[in-house]
Amino acid sequence: MTVTNAPSEVATARAPAPRPRLNIEPYLYLLPHALLFFVFTIYPIGYGLYISLHRWDLLSGRQPFVGGEFYRNIFTPGTPQADFFWKTLWNTTFFTIVSVPLLVAAALGLALLLHKPIFGRAFFRAVFFMPGILTVSVMGILWRWMFDNQIGLVNAARELFFRAPPIPWLSTEGLAWVPIVVGTIWWTLGFNMTLYLAALGNVPASLYEAASLDGATPWQSFRFITVPMLAPVTLFVLVTTALASFQLFGQSLVITNGGPSRSTQSVIQYITEEGFTNAQYSSAAAMGFVFGLFMLVLTAIQFRSMARDVKETGA
Amino acid sequence: MNRTLRRTALLTLLALGTAGAQNYTGPKVQLSFLHGFTGPDRPVMESLVKRFNDTHPNIQVRAQAQPWATTWQQLPSLVASGRAPDVAVINEDQITGFVARGAVSPLTAAELRTAGIDKARFFGPLFATADYQGQSYGVPISSVAYVMFYNKDLMRKVGLDPNKPPRTRAEFLQIAQRCTVDKSGKNSTQAGFDPRNLDTWGVSLYNNWVGARAAYAAILQNGGSLIDAKQNAAFNSPQAVSAVQFLVDLVQKQRVARPNSTEEAELAAFSQGKVCMFPSGQWYLDRFETQKMNFGVTFMPRVGGTVRDAAWGGSSHLTLPRQRPGYDANKRAAALAFMSWLAQPAQNLTWTATGSLPTQGAVARNAKFETAAISGVFDRLNSVYATSGFPWVGQVMVPFDQAWEAAYLGKKPVAQALNDGVREANKQIEQARKNFQQ
Repeated sequence: MTVTNAPSEVATARAPAPRPRLNIEPYLYLLPHALLFFVFTIYPIGYGLYISLHRWDLLSGRQPFVGGEFYRNIFTPGTPQADFFWKTLWNTTFFTIVSVPLLVAAALGLALLLHKPIFGRAFFRAVFFMPGILTVSVMGILWRWMFDNQIGLVNAARELFFRAPPIPWLSTEGLAWVPIVVGTIWWTLGFNMTLYLAALGNVPASLYEAASLDGATPWQSFRFITVPMLAPVTLFVLVTTALASFQLFGQSLVITNGGPSRSTQSVIQYITEEGFTNAQYSSAAAMGFVFGLFMLVLTAIQFRSMARDVKETGA
Repeated sequence: MNRTLRRTALLTLLALGTAGAQNYTGPKVQLSFLHGFTGPDRPVMESLVKRFNDTHPNIQVRAQAQPWATTWQQLPSLVASGRAPDVAVINEDQITGFVARGAVSPLTAAELRTAGIDKARFFGPLFATADYQGQSYGVPISSVAYVMFYNKDLMRKVGLDPNKPPRTRAEFLQIAQRCTVDKSGKNSTQAGFDPRNLDTWGVSLYNNWVGARAAYAAILQNGGSLIDAKQNAAFNSPQAVSAVQFLVDLVQKQRVARPNSTEEAELAAFSQGKVCMFPSGQWYLDRFETQKMNFGVTFMPRVGGTVRDAAWGGSSHLTLPRQRPGYDANKRAAALAFMSWLAQPAQNLTWTATGSLPTQGAVARNAKFETAAISGVFDRLNSVYATSGFPWVGQVMVPFDQAWEAAYLGKKPVAQALNDGVREANKQIEQARKNFQQ
């Protein structure tokens, strides 16, 4: 220790480094964003934390400090928060587990098909992308009608082709997810597809040529060239799609309104209900923080595991 | 449109006169007026405000329309910071919550008298919607109700008198049974009737919150209530269970209503002449009229019991939000004059063009309604009850609507569905109470 420290001490003694002058220029460049960041991110987070720790109601004169009461409610069995927060969080997780693989796989599949110079390629690209420009209410009403228990197109088709009795999609637990998942895929597929199309265009054709000279089958080219080359985009698509899926709100709100018996209610819809229907702002804020933390951890895990893959495959 | 509107307005003014005191004589004041009529009703409200400003030179009302939900979120902070609008419109499901939290100031008997607002003029339960603990907090200007549409052609087809809508449970059940006919032409009372192959059916029941208002009406008709004297949820009383059981039996035993149905499906079925009776919000009136259907509108028959007539209603009330100390007394007097004017029969008649029901008997008796289908419910507008009077409407209505859904869909027996709902509601209420114990 002394040995290693000695030269630097000597060096300092010999030639004292000039005191670094505070250069404010870079901070000025950062200032505009920093201001917005503090006003719209840091301050609301701080204020939200304050709300979640107090019995907060602007109309009452006092906002008494209650400590972790609203956080404890979430973890105390028997409270409405413990019942519904975890139920709706599971609903949201279930939706994510089901829809993310479908959204990624289907988007990749479509991109592979539409990357080839087939007839009407631009037309099909537009067709698959187009639903994404609809608002969630339009998309939701559309799929609610398609899967209506009595008069939906799906039930009508079942009766026409299979003479099968109508299925009450919207009011059967489990089945109620079908219109939500199908509708979401139809609605958001095009965005991921476009990302994959752009990435496919960047894969050097020489790699495929080399592979075919070596006698690689199409599957091998796909497995050992396309998939690794697309890994960075896949990471991006996976993370953004998973985050978007966890923010499920509009689709289930419009299609099933969270029913039957809250079986398709998303956690954000429940938090909104707690805040604005029950006027329990502090409780809603507390649940918002727990959910936010959950998302943060999840994204961190996803990034770590995926980033390692990306690095290992050398892309 | 605008011209016709103005002409109608003028005519109604002449017809009804401008009775009542509008006696603000103080210095010129400006009032802010916040309301949520942002749809096709917006121009009607704006023309009314303009007319008020034109005829009241010393009061200038500046109206602002913004979506209801935004107002519910903003009003607390506006009141807390002393920047509340002088007059705000609050709806039936929010009013008691705001009153109990002190966001709205009471309208004293003296103030109402001075402003010429006579509560006896209005439909009783409608005016009482904005009452809390014996005090009045608002004046109704808009009203909707859960009514029952019936298809006259279909009733005639099955041999019923289309001009005799049901009033009692027995009459209702008889019509429902006669209207329920399977594809081979047998009705639900005949042997060999096949409920799985219906051609037409008796009544529309469905699973969303509007559908749940059928249960609400039935419970009140049977002498039940959503809450008890202590404002805890009580929609599992014996009266409530028996009333809701009757509705669920319409699906499961009588087979005169379709199981697993949705509002859209029943609405489409009614429009296509597949179902005789369609209980729903009166807001569908316009749609059936545009469609030139041969239909009638009647008050919800007493399906739940014989204690009283009852149906659900929604309403909008003019209120005076709490202001900072030292608020200009002239502004309050002017605001009361504005409220009084807007709630006058002449203005209310103009307002009914938006699809609102009359708020008072004098308007309901207007000649304009003599041939209107909607007048079929006017004989019982005094029996429309809003979900108000307790500060935790959300805590009660969400579990109530879910209890109806579970019972109607047959996922739980009626008593269990209602018990579960009450248990959940009371847990939520227990938490909500803490907000009021400071």
